[in-house]
Amino acid sequence: MIRRQLHILSSLAVFVIVLAGIKSSTSAPRPKTETACVSCHRERAETQPETPMGRASALPGSNPVLEQNPRLTVTKGPYTYTVETRGNESTYSVSDSARTITVPIHWNFGSGAQTWVLEHDGKRYESAVSYYPSIRGLDFTTGDEDLKPQNLDEAIGREILMPETKVCFGCHTSHSLTNGELTLGSMRPGVTCEHCHAGTMEHVSDAASGDFSSTPPDLRKLTSEDISNFCGQCHRSWETVVRNHWRGRLTVRFQPYRLANSKCFDGADPRISCIACHDPHVNIVRDDATYDSKCLACHSGARANAASILAGDHAPTCKVAKSGCVNCHMPKVKLPNGLMTFTDHEIRIVKAGEPFPD
Amino acid sequence: MSQAEYRGRTPSLLAIATACVFLALCLSALGQANPASFSDTVANANAAREVNDIPHAIDLYQQALKLNSQWADGWWFIGSLEYGAGDYAKAEEALSRYLELNQNAAPALAIRGLCEFETGEYPKSLKDIQQALALGAANQSKNEKILRYHEAMLETRLGRFEDALRSYGFFAHDEGNPELMVAVGLAGLRTPLLPRELKDDQKELFGSAGKAAFDFMRGDKDGAHGEFEKMFARTPPVANAHFLYGFLLYGTEPGEAATEFKRELEENPKNAAAEVMLAWIPLLDNDGSDALPYAKKAVEVDPSLPSAQLVLGRALTESGDARDGVEHLQKTAQMQPDNLEAHIALAKAYSKLGQKDDARRERMLCLEMTKNDTAPATHP
Repeated sequence: MIRRQLHILSSLAVFVIVLAGIKSSTSAPRPKTETACVSCHRERAETQPETPMGRASALPGSNPVLEQNPRLTVTKGPYTYTVETRGNESTYSVSDSARTITVPIHWNFGSGAQTWVLEHDGKRYESAVSYYPSIRGLDFTTGDEDLKPQNLDEAIGREILMPETKVCFGCHTSHSLTNGELTLGSMRPGVTCEHCHAGTMEHVSDAASGDFSSTPPDLRKLTSEDISNFCGQCHRSWETVVRNHWRGRLTVRFQPYRLANSKCFDGADPRISCIACHDPHVNIVRDDATYDSKCLACHSGARANAASILAGDHAPTCKVAKSGCVNCHMPKVKLPNGLMTFTDHEIRIVKAGEPFPD
Repeated sequence: MSQAEYRGRTPSLLAIATACVFLALCLSALGQANPASFSDTVANANAAREVNDIPHAIDLYQQALKLNSQWADGWWFIGSLEYGAGDYAKAEEALSRYLELNQNAAPALAIRGLCEFETGEYPKSLKDIQQALALGAANQSKNEKILRYHEAMLETRLGRFEDALRSYGFFAHDEGNPELMVAVGLAGLRTPLLPRELKDDQKELFGSAGKAAFDFMRGDKDGAHGEFEKMFARTPPVANAHFLYGFLLYGTEPGEAATEFKRELEENPKNAAAEVMLAWIPLLDNDGSDALPYAKKAVEVDPSLPSAQLVLGRALTESGDARDGVEHLQKTAQMQPDNLEAHIALAKAYSKLGQKDDARRERMLCLEMTKNDTAPATHP
């Protein structure tokens, strides 16, 4: 516990960094921007809300996970957890042999696996249990398996203080932070246009009068290093993970961190940036073969010439295959709880039986 | 040869033979006596130690080690007994021998670090204590308090005041005591001394500053504010008092923190640390351009301050001049090779420059630096 507090103290700057980045894009809560965006950027603005980022959180009454699972229950040790949905209202209950605490679910975080931020007696909690599609049911929230609640109130979940609350809402919702303060009144679920594209509203207003000078910066022009840090504001940048001394298999969730640990990561080469492989405006592509062309952009040998080979700066070609690259070089890793699987973005030659590179 | 002659020689031969047998027996006995002597000596040493006859125990352990210098426990006993007896130089020497045989022995590193603290070898002491902590020496509350307290005092003594204040944060749940307040005050007012190096009439000032900072760390911000107001009212002005208040406010109220840093600069225009903190505020907003003037001033005032070189390196990198940024970041890393922030910033700067091998080297170094002090990545 003390170690954790020290980490909190020493990593205060990290929180500030994260919040600063979030703040820059959410300081002016002006909802309904997307409607205006659609008029010029129809394709992206229409598909983005259906992506996992667009559905990073849901409000009561618009949560497909709970609508499809109106009653979820699990018993963990002496406590039984129940999540019930009736109409537009969902509740989270925890019971022991003597009593039950029931709280309404106001904030649903996650589009597949889902965790709830709860309020009880003036405190906020990350729910002790979460919904996992892999089991179509509840289990301990990832990372909270070792919590040892001493009473029913503590069994609700892990208490989250204001700095962490801001980080949660800052990443899973839009317009929930104004000048660094939590402003849930203006919150909109999910990641909306202005969450990433700071200054969208000014641009909308100016563009209506033919002035395009305030067009938000084109994020595609950022270097791979900067894009990695930009996406890493929520997906955890390499710096954030290192500053917090996070290690272990759970870090497979932090793609920018894992990618930056790859031998081939080059912060100045656009072929290895997050957006070289992923378009955040459309749904994540699950077909591994789709990514072959991204790998072959460097590893085809076509770009290698005598000078680059002599200089040793050409990307080697694979001796085993020309397709299905990520099957071998970006293995799927299950979290220790076995409930979620992530693609390891630390690109490497995987050797049989080797431990998770940490 | 006559009988007489034979007889005359017989005693002599017998004597020789006897002497040979005796010699052989002696050699044989000597050959068997060594292990017996070693185990007896160890047993006697242990017995002396158990009845608290420390000088005798140390003497016997030394005898045992003459018979077997690879006996690690012997060095440990001598080291710990000499430490207990207050002979820190001898304890340090013995523990070093022990650590040659058991490199990652956290308790030995911890005690050697405490010995080095007493003998004034502060950089070595801090290194040992931090390594001991990383290896789990703080397995009991009492041990952890001792080690954390020494770590913080050493950081202060070595001019790593910000680190020291963070380290003192460990005690925020304790009641506190006058000595701790003085120690916190020394870190807060950026005075590279140990409490024992202060004269009695200096302690009140540092104790007051320490109490103000300690109240803040414990969450009593109103109490802290009152204490700081008293500090600010003193004449002549207390150097670094506004800086300290600003530093404490910085994590949660950067605007108010900036005001305090600027007040510090009004009273002390050559305060490079205040310039550094004013540079950090825009840097945490990813705004290198706004940080640049403060960072440049900090380096101008005190180029030997590692944090000044660090903020200038970062400000240059963030504002698009990674090449010049690297130069200052390298200086930081030269001054403080174990400064994680310097290596993180170097990795980023090299990466921006497309020097991927250099970036990777720095990244791997950062992972190596943090591998013994890991934390689980808990929340989703």
